[in-house]
Amino acid sequence: MGPDFHTTIRLERLESPLKRELKDLFGIDVDTCLECGKCSGGCSNGHVFDYTPRKIVQLVKLGAEETLMKMDALWICLSCQLCLDRCPSGIDIPRILDYLRGKARMKRIPARRPAIGLFHELMIEQIRKTGRVSEVGLMLRFKAATGEYMKDAGIGVKLFLKGKLNPFSPSVKNVEEVRRLYDSASKRTKT
Amino acid sequence: MSRQRVVNPEEKFPTVPGTVFLFRSCTGSLEYPGTENAVKETLASLGIQALMDPDQTCCSGYLLTCSAHKPEVSLAITARNLSLVEKKDLDTYTFCNGCYGYLSELSHIMMHNPAYLQMANDLIARWGYRYEGKTRIYHVQEMWYRLRETIGEKVVRPLSGLKVGVHYGCHYLAKQYGILDDGGYPTFHEEIVEILGATPVFYKERQLCCGYAVGRGFTHREETVQPHLFKKLTSARDAGVELITTVCPGCNVALDREQPHLGKRYGADLKIPVIDLSQLIALAMGVPPQKLGFEANTIPLDVVLKKLGL
Amino acid sequence: MEAALRIAQAGFHAVLVEKEPELGGTLRDLHSSFPRWENPRELIDHRVGLLTKSRRVTIRTQTAVTSSARQKKGFRVSLKSLRNENEDELDVDAVVLTTGFELMDVSVYGEYGYGIYPGVMTSLEFEGQLKKWAQSTREIAADAPRGVALIQCVGSRDRSKGNPYCSKICCMYTAKQAGLVKDLFPDTRVYVFYMDYRASGKEYEEFVRQVIEEKHVRYIRGRPAKVLPEDGRLLVRAEDTLMGIPVEVAVDMVILASAIVPRPGTRLLAGMFGARTDEYGFIESELHEPVRSADRVFFAGGCGFAIETTGALNQGASAAAGVIALFNEDR
Repeated sequence: MGPDFHTTIRLERLESPLKRELKDLFGIDVDTCLECGKCSGGCSNGHVFDYTPRKIVQLVKLGAEETLMKMDALWICLSCQLCLDRCPSGIDIPRILDYLRGKARMKRIPARRPAIGLFHELMIEQIRKTGRVSEVGLMLRFKAATGEYMKDAGIGVKLFLKGKLNPFSPSVKNVEEVRRLYDSASKRTKT
Repeated sequence: MSRQRVVNPEEKFPTVPGTVFLFRSCTGSLEYPGTENAVKETLASLGIQALMDPDQTCCSGYLLTCSAHKPEVSLAITARNLSLVEKKDLDTYTFCNGCYGYLSELSHIMMHNPAYLQMANDLIARWGYRYEGKTRIYHVQEMWYRLRETIGEKVVRPLSGLKVGVHYGCHYLAKQYGILDDGGYPTFHEEIVEILGATPVFYKERQLCCGYAVGRGFTHREETVQPHLFKKLTSARDAGVELITTVCPGCNVALDREQPHLGKRYGADLKIPVIDLSQLIALAMGVPPQKLGFEANTIPLDVVLKKLGL
Repeated sequence: MEAALRIAQAGFHAVLVEKEPELGGTLRDLHSSFPRWENPRELIDHRVGLLTKSRRVTIRTQTAVTSSARQKKGFRVSLKSLRNENEDELDVDAVVLTTGFELMDVSVYGEYGYGIYPGVMTSLEFEGQLKKWAQSTREIAADAPRGVALIQCVGSRDRSKGNPYCSKICCMYTAKQAGLVKDLFPDTRVYVFYMDYRASGKEYEEFVRQVIEEKHVRYIRGRPAKVLPEDGRLLVRAEDTLMGIPVEVAVDMVILASAIVPRPGTRLLAGMFGARTDEYGFIESELHEPVRSADRVFFAGGCGFAIETTGALNQGASAAAGVIALFNEDR
């Protein structure tokens, strides 16, 4: 596991600025980890993750930022918060992942699964344009982008007939404010 | 169990045999025939006659680790080979850690599992062979250590000034009991090197496996074996080692033949000749280099031989 | 000492026979104690003070037991002074064995280089080094090692080259030693290689967590396989089992938390009084009698098994209670 590790790691040459950042920004102290594995045990998607929550905390200790930003788990975490809820030390793993997702976006490291990255992009773009997420619009754009037009089409029709889909979604009243928010935020983080 | 791990060479060999069966090693006899010769020459000057049998086959270690066949086949092969030795009523001496490891382990399995012994004997009985477990398995490095004083007396060409890095290999020291030195920090080869007049060098990765692992050199050469060898050889180079000794032709192939490839892959400057400990002993005891088959070595022995004035 | 004190306090007479010139045993070699970072010297001085003052305690230091003969209700014990070789005999009504423990000879672990590399030492030897550093009056910053690795379970939990049992106190004292190094030299990197850390006692868990979280000692889960020399330093190689990847650290000192074994003299001594020892040489207790090994023979402390100071004190008191009860019955 871990594509970066094909030689023995020299621990005393490792620093973990990430550990420091998490402590300073969010008060998350990974040294309190008891290594019990309760987080991994309860993780909703743990069986699919390449690195389970306990390993993610250990990677933070090892300062393996690149591995963390490139791992599959980063973008398929459901944010169900179970790991945080169960941790005897209260280590906020979902917050760690949030932070890493932001960092990965800044460094333009793509998600392992291209469809996920695409979905997030479209969603964010929609909010920027209209101030809210229109499910239908998002769906249509997503299908168009991925080329999977007919997938889930059957369900879509049923939902529409039941009045649960509104293809025409109005923008938020003050959509200009939303856009300005986006622009200033992206200027600050240069996304 | 842990108490019997290391035994005294005098305990292992209370008397020195007059005749032994020398077990042919495929890698040894084919890749480095000079090693086989060196073993024979050294045994001869120690007053031990070495008998061989052209009917002896490969120990089948390679095939077993490459999962080329079922383990039962190797058991039968071992039984057959050892029955040849038993016909001569001798003990089996190998000069290859691999053969040693496989013969020891497979014979141990048969001696402790009557069903397996029966199966093996049933198979080989068809051609008139029968294995009883009487012959004991040794490696010539044990005999070199047992007779180190005699060797010392017979040194006519002390290898003064030669910096030798020893490579023990894995399959001898990995045994849990009845070995001549502690696997955690062995020194008995270095003792022999000193007796020959050379200077042993304790380089950092001295105890690292060669990586070839009886077959991995074929199946996993680029992925795992080469980076591994690189680590070992650069450690030796950085410590000033001029010559590496082995007691396993498999290790010899790994450490010797891969050096030019490592040079190409990593741009490293590696030119350390690798020979068998028996060849080093023979050299010090006055056997002419021509009889030791150094032509078979990939990294030439020129520099070393020149240093020794040969 | 504890047993002698309680027996004397109960009105009976105790003779303390000690091989060494001073009382205290292994406690004298310790610089600090867990879980409260106290100085063991204070405990020893306090007890020795009480013992010397007591009129019912006779202290015989530098004295050894040479033999013993069982009598109707006690033993005739032959003693020999190690100072002047004088011999004498003593009639006693009960015996308490408290010969303590020592550390296993870890030179069998060639892979750790004990006895080969000067920077490798046992935990007890390191305790002496800590004492030296702490008591030094001059500036010791120049002595600071850049890195220290402490390895737990050397010879314990090892069916192959050592002893299968757990030596109980090493996880705690290793945390203590690691913490002390950080206190002395805050810039030194300190690593503890562990399989578990066993902290089952009052304030024990908090103690270890404090060492990890506040003193910033790096705990790595994995039993090291090799200690190799590199550029004048020592390289410790292990697996970080939590990640499943090999790791190594370059340090200047490697401290081995060696297995606790009974002193070889314990078996002999036990035999003199009809007490039984187990396959390791620890004294065996009788059924339902945790501090009694034979009729009128009690024991306490490390000679029974690895134990921490508080536990030894408790056992000493328990052995004393056994003696006192016996003497009350005799009357």
